[in-house]
Amino acid sequence: MTPFIDINQLSKTYQKGKTSVTPLEKLSLSVPKGEFLALMGPSGSGKTTLLNLVAGIDTPTTGQLIIDGQDIAGLSRAALAKWRSRHVGYIFQLYHLVPILSAFENVELPLLLSKMSRRERKAKVESALELVGLAERSGHRPSELSGGQEQRVAIARAIVHNPGLLVADEPTGDLDRESADNILRLLRELSREHEKTIVMVTHDPKAAAAADRCLHLEKGQLVDEPEPATFVA
Amino acid sequence: MLPFTYAVRNLFRDPSRLLQTVGGSALVVLLLTAAVAFNEGMDRVLSASGSPKNVMLVGKGSEESIERSEVPLAAESAAKTSIPGLASQLNTPAVSGEIIFQAPITPPSGESKQGQMRGVLPVALLVHPEVVLLEGHFPGPGEVMVGKLAPRKLGLAEEALALGEMLVIGEQEFRISGRFAAPGTVLESEFWLDRNDLATLMQRDSLSAVYVRLSDGEPEDVEVFAFQRNDLELSSIREDIYYDKLSRFYGPIKGMTWLTAALVAAGALFGGINTLYAAFASRIREMATLQAIGYTRGALLVSLIQESLLATLTGTLLAMVAALLLLEGRTIAFSMGAFELSLSPAVVLTGLVTGALLGTVGTLPPAIRTLAPALPKALRSN
Repeated sequence: MTPFIDINQLSKTYQKGKTSVTPLEKLSLSVPKGEFLALMGPSGSGKTTLLNLVAGIDTPTTGQLIIDGQDIAGLSRAALAKWRSRHVGYIFQLYHLVPILSAFENVELPLLLSKMSRRERKAKVESALELVGLAERSGHRPSELSGGQEQRVAIARAIVHNPGLLVADEPTGDLDRESADNILRLLRELSREHEKTIVMVTHDPKAAAAADRCLHLEKGQLVDEPEPATFVA
Repeated sequence: MLPFTYAVRNLFRDPSRLLQTVGGSALVVLLLTAAVAFNEGMDRVLSASGSPKNVMLVGKGSEESIERSEVPLAAESAAKTSIPGLASQLNTPAVSGEIIFQAPITPPSGESKQGQMRGVLPVALLVHPEVVLLEGHFPGPGEVMVGKLAPRKLGLAEEALALGEMLVIGEQEFRISGRFAAPGTVLESEFWLDRNDLATLMQRDSLSAVYVRLSDGEPEDVEVFAFQRNDLELSSIREDIYYDKLSRFYGPIKGMTWLTAALVAAGALFGGINTLYAAFASRIREMATLQAIGYTRGALLVSLIQESLLATLTGTLLAMVAALLLLEGRTIAFSMGAFELSLSPAVVLTGLVTGALLGTVGTLPPAIRTLAPALPKALRSN
């Protein structure tokens, strides 16, 4: 079966002044469709770099990066933007909601990139907010929501255009335990019931335990794949 | 593309910044509008003051300043009989010897100020057909006729120099006999007196210039006359060319107007750009998030420009209202006379283009700086 994410010999090198830094070196990895994958590792291990490459917001120096059958390694900046708008939902640690827009309008943002009637957009946004349990708060601005609710809105924004891939950068890093558990439960549900492939970077072993698989990175290399701890929802 | 409402709402994100941007752009637009209106008004009055059909005979060497010119009285009658192709009315040739003089004038209430006086005879109306009597009559001995803008030249309201009021010119009193208009020309801010009165008052027995209006004659005919009558020591110059030269004389003043407006505008522009730098810098992460969602840099740049344009065009609108209230119809006095500021289509267009440029060109540097950082770095910015 063809993997949803197929990474071959992927490297990323940055130029930092006169020295070059390689946070990711010749990494290979396969992720099947619908898998919830956690990436762990110390700071500077390359996990966020890998996440950004998979999300198409950064480009690799060498190697092959195939997502859902398409090699995105060679795409131009504009083509990558278009690809992201169709195939990726990004969930940030600090939610990154637009403060002047309501929850509804924040969730609607990805849909404005496609040709869709207002009525269709409204239906999709309401459905996404319903899925994350925030239908009744659609008119609220981010400042009127709790951290957990903001992250739910961010998840609704990430899934509203029905992308195959969700990438999450420390999605529970700024939340209390209860809210974090609710978010992890939601991500598992998206993976299992809606067949979303999820790649999540985390420092929290409990968050990693919610994933189907957990990979450890050190110095830009995968080191081992310990069995994930059991996530008690 | 991001919805337009996003740009509108962003405007109110920081009310103090909005106030700065609107106020700054209003100031820049108002200043440039004033500068254009000023220069356009001065150009208009000087170019309208000279007719290509009129040729002035002035004293040799006084071609650039009629006030210094001395022309013998005999030149007037000689011109009438010697120059071919003169305009005329009821067999009266359009040749007017005139005395032009600047002297202190004391209005009924108020202090003495310099005013431009023209000593004329009724034939002057043949060479200055733009002069229209608004009320009263042409000045006879002991009388003065006041141009429509002349009161403003003295810093007075129009009604301050009403018919029948007395004006002190030199040390002699003159009764206001009439008011006249000469739309768009420097004549409109002059005081017209009986020529003999002015000659007596100024103790001179010569004219400043002889104005000749041509019908089918050529300016070269007047030039030939001046050349042939070497004894009268005359030079001829077409009236429109004379005012064109004067206009060039005022070039440095116009240049200073532009420079002052440009310097203040540049200051306000850099201030505005600085405000935008600060405002946009706080939104680097938001812009990066929108890019991560799939919006292109171009779409975000358009949105930022829309946002700035809304602010600067609001400022432009305010500036236009202020210009309408403060500038439109305001009389500006200068040494040659006075002119009215007018919000002509060119002036309004300058204001609108300035506002639009402020919103676009002024936004580009801070917007590009906001959108330039690499996405992974920008997403992590505070």
